[in-house]
Amino acid sequence: MKLESLDHEVRTARGRPRPVHRRARRVAHLLRLTREWLAAYSLVGPALALLGFWFIYPIIDSVVLSFQSVDEFHFGQRSFIGLHNFNQLLHDPAFSHSLGITLFFVVLVVPAQTLLAIVIASVMQSVGLGRSAFRTAFFVPYMTSTVAVTTVFMKLFVAGGPLANFAAYFHVPDTTWYASVQLALPFLVIVYVYMYIGLYVVVFSSGLEQIPTSLYEAAEVDGAGPLQRFRYVTVPSLRPFVTFVVVAGLIQAVQIFDQAYVVAGGQILGSPAGATSTLVIFIYQQAFRLNDLGYGSAAGVVLLVIVFLGTVVTRRLLPDRS
Amino acid sequence: MTSLTWGHSRRRRHVATWIKYGFLVSSSLVMIAPLLFALYTSLESPPDYLHWVAPTALTLSNYRYVIDNAPIARWYFNTAFITVGVMVGAVVVNTMAGYALARLRFPGRTVSFLVVLGVLMVPLQAILIPLYLLVAQLGWLNSYQSLIVPFMANPFLIFLMRQSFVGLPRDIEDSAAIDGAGRFRTFLRIAVPLTMSGIATQAVLAGTWTWNSFMVPVTFTTNPSYFVLTVGLNTLQSQFYTLQTVQMAGVVLLTVPVIAMFLFFQRLIVPSFATAGIKG
Repeated sequence: MKLESLDHEVRTARGRPRPVHRRARRVAHLLRLTREWLAAYSLVGPALALLGFWFIYPIIDSVVLSFQSVDEFHFGQRSFIGLHNFNQLLHDPAFSHSLGITLFFVVLVVPAQTLLAIVIASVMQSVGLGRSAFRTAFFVPYMTSTVAVTTVFMKLFVAGGPLANFAAYFHVPDTTWYASVQLALPFLVIVYVYMYIGLYVVVFSSGLEQIPTSLYEAAEVDGAGPLQRFRYVTVPSLRPFVTFVVVAGLIQAVQIFDQAYVVAGGQILGSPAGATSTLVIFIYQQAFRLNDLGYGSAAGVVLLVIVFLGTVVTRRLLPDRS
Repeated sequence: MTSLTWGHSRRRRHVATWIKYGFLVSSSLVMIAPLLFALYTSLESPPDYLHWVAPTALTLSNYRYVIDNAPIARWYFNTAFITVGVMVGAVVVNTMAGYALARLRFPGRTVSFLVVLGVLMVPLQAILIPLYLLVAQLGWLNSYQSLIVPFMANPFLIFLMRQSFVGLPRDIEDSAAIDGAGRFRTFLRIAVPLTMSGIATQAVLAGTWTWNSFMVPVTFTTNPSYFVLTVGLNTLQSQFYTLQTVQMAGVVLLTVPVIAMFLFFQRLIVPSFATAGIKG
């Protein structure tokens, strides 16, 4: 009530603007707005159109496909079969096997790469000279193609190869690792950790750079040794980075595909005997080797859900990271 | 007494430094060794495989062999063409979108941004099947465009560009607008030159991802004429099964351009991958 009267007063005090002027201003304003919108839409439009066609539609379609059966020879012929694909997944030993393999892989990879990266990054941070040279050495494998790295490691871990030979000193049989049911998955773990470690070293390094040196000095004054300083200063300060590396590393590792594909060579994917049959290999095998696109998509939806949950957890754990 | 303990702790510190360097040097060597192994082996003649030979015995014959017996020049061209295509497309499309999302007000802006964030974490592995169907129905299997067009717009790169535009001071653009420059001109003449480092980062990320990508090309191409290097190299493994030195020549040919680019643009690349760590 009061506000209204005030508003009225102001308006009368300002004097009534001539209607022609007001309309002209409004038109000019609208024109400017339209021009701005036009500019905005023509800038953002191509990206949104491409994302819609090549990202959002496939996401929706992968869910739709998971409830369908697709004709092997005519991709256009798709029929709904309800929950059949998911039901089949539940009872497919190959699927549960691939989940188990993936879980095992992740459980080995994530702690290994996190621990190694944190140790390397902190040692690197504590030396003065040559830091960037070391960083280069650790990062180069990450820039290298997975196919190239896997090919090289297959030469190193073949029976009689340099590293298979070396491993024999530790009572690991000198055999072709990637052809051995027991050693094929550890082989994948080694190749994977080798490639990704540099990335996480860099992430931890940027975290370590943010720890004020005064904290270390204070700990030293209090008589803390190097290991205690690591335990009571470095580790707590790095906690958000550790969470990040663990969850991001987990999401990444669940998606392992390239290395396992290369390792199989010309053989059936997942060779030997399903030892490298990770979740994505299972999806790929069903869709592109056995031509069951609907069934593969159902397994793909499971992957989507796993990654989605992982992302949600990350967001929860790191509320302040933009 | 005091000087003694001082000297003692100084020696201990000395030893600690040595241990640290020893650790770093040896683990760096472990990281580099497989690549050096590939390089060295690729220069050996096949019978010398896994043996040390005199530097004079090294030869380029494996490279000649792989070039003569596999369409590697074609694969090089394919890879370079696709990589440049994605890089150019990505820079244009994502930079424009990033600017609009950072600076312009328009209905649907929040929704658009949420969409970008929403698909940020979706792994390609999970949507490969519908993507394949789409490509197949367009008749794009065994083509360049199937490896370029779908990968130009990238949610992560849009996000990256938006962040770099948000970080720009607004005053400069405002004064350009007052001087009568339209939105497009402000974008092209003022904003883009100021975010060159962001754009370069984007180009490097898109380029590396494309050059090294394997799953998509191996799925979308079956005709060796359309293979990229990663896919071609993978077939070399079975083709030259007994010629490890030749395979290693293939590895070196595949790897050298990316590593060279990395060593050249290191300062730019490392931090950008640190932020892109989520996406990998």
